[in-house]
Amino acid sequence: MIFTGPIVLRLVALAFAVLIFQLAFLSQITIAGSHPDIVPALVVVMGLLGGSLAGAVAGFSIGLFVDSALIQTMGASSLVLLGVGYLAGRFREIFDITNELWPPLVAGGLTALAITGYALIQFLLGVDAPVSALIVRDLLVKSALAVVLSIPLYVGTRRIVRAAMIDDRPRRRRAQTVPMGIGRR
Amino acid sequence: MYRKQLRRRRAALALLVAASLALLTAYFGEGANGGLHSAQRGVVAVLAPIEEGAHRALKPARDFFGWIDDTLGAKGENERLQSELNELRTRLAAAERATSENRDLKRLVGLRRREGFPDGYGNVTARVITRSPTVWYSTITVDKGRSSGIRPDQAVVTGEGLIGRISTVTAGTAQVTLITDHTSAVSAEVVPSGAAGVIKPQVGNPEDLLLDFIEKGRRVRKGQTIITAGWRSGDLESLFPRGIPVGRVTDASVEERETYQRVHIEPFADLRRVRFVQVLVPASRKSGAAGARAATGAGGGQ
Repeated sequence: MIFTGPIVLRLVALAFAVLIFQLAFLSQITIAGSHPDIVPALVVVMGLLGGSLAGAVAGFSIGLFVDSALIQTMGASSLVLLGVGYLAGRFREIFDITNELWPPLVAGGLTALAITGYALIQFLLGVDAPVSALIVRDLLVKSALAVVLSIPLYVGTRRIVRAAMIDDRPRRRRAQTVPMGIGRR
Repeated sequence: MYRKQLRRRRAALALLVAASLALLTAYFGEGANGGLHSAQRGVVAVLAPIEEGAHRALKPARDFFGWIDDTLGAKGENERLQSELNELRTRLAAAERATSENRDLKRLVGLRRREGFPDGYGNVTARVITRSPTVWYSTITVDKGRSSGIRPDQAVVTGEGLIGRISTVTAGTAQVTLITDHTSAVSAEVVPSGAAGVIKPQVGNPEDLLLDFIEKGRRVRKGQTIITAGWRSGDLESLFPRGIPVGRVTDASVEERETYQRVHIEPFADLRRVRFVQVLVPASRKSGAAGARAATGAGGGQ
């Protein structure tokens, strides 16, 4: 992806809109006993489209925003999400994403990794209460929901940054050559 | 060229990791009035109007999802409620007699209290505008703040019972740390047995709280009600006033090896679907009261 000012602005606006959607809507609905979390999927999509460096920067920035907006421990989400963004970007750099199924699957897998990473950080920082086995259910439900949520997110983000995609620019149709003197009807 | 790119990428990654770790360290090192905490409050204050607007705009979609969830849960709920209704009919008769006796006794000692509401407290009704999606932070943000008289450490309730306390306040919003947050601890009492303990959450399971530190000799039975204990010792007093309903005992097991018995509680309030809350604001805020309070954070019963 070629990062220009307008493209970065578009990505920032998209991230902001998705995060507000997360806080004001997704966090407040319950599906199978869990609140959907689109944030890791957003970082994965940015990593898949922009590469490892872009993914890491997006993850760090989005994590910082989430920690600030929800008054959580600053740096925890940034650390987890920058790893997620970097891995998503490396996936794109190493493997060719030819199948449309890859982005949602990667989003689901990396969401599970993000939740696990976040849990590890919390344990390292100290948890003052017993932990229920139901957090495993939460992990599975959130990952499954991330698979579903990442489909429209990937398609939408790709459309928004299409102009900057090196391998995804609308190709100009080459003028068809015809033998001289023979016109096409 | 490729090597240079690789080096640049690794350097950027290392820089971001270092920045995250530095933020974590600095955040833990500073107090509640430190730079990072202030920056967070600033971000919350700026975002509050946007979040509130989005909250209102997305209400129909949220209600739709709520309706689906309610419909799916209604069948099981109906069976449970039928059995509860039978039990409650029996209890109602006993409770009416007790209320009548209580009214007479209060009249005798000159007490005037509103039923189910702590003495000396007014309330500020607020709407929930955001909540944390992770199980590690059970927090919600409400649309009323300092300008409405809300201050840190005030108790927050719904129609069903206690849900948490105010942890951070900005001019127009306040963050509520729910009783299911791992940093929460509430000193509580079992009625009618009078056994006292500390309520701790189970991370990841908002429908199950633990009442810990109850002496083995005290008999706690399934179905008994838990209320806040609201203790006072000299200048120190509990954050939660006495008598706020918290939940119902679902299981009371006594482990032979343990010194204390552990009681499982189902909270009265559905903490996953809180829409409106009431913040209990002291009617006459004494100067310096906040300093005298036992804002012990984790570990101690509040």
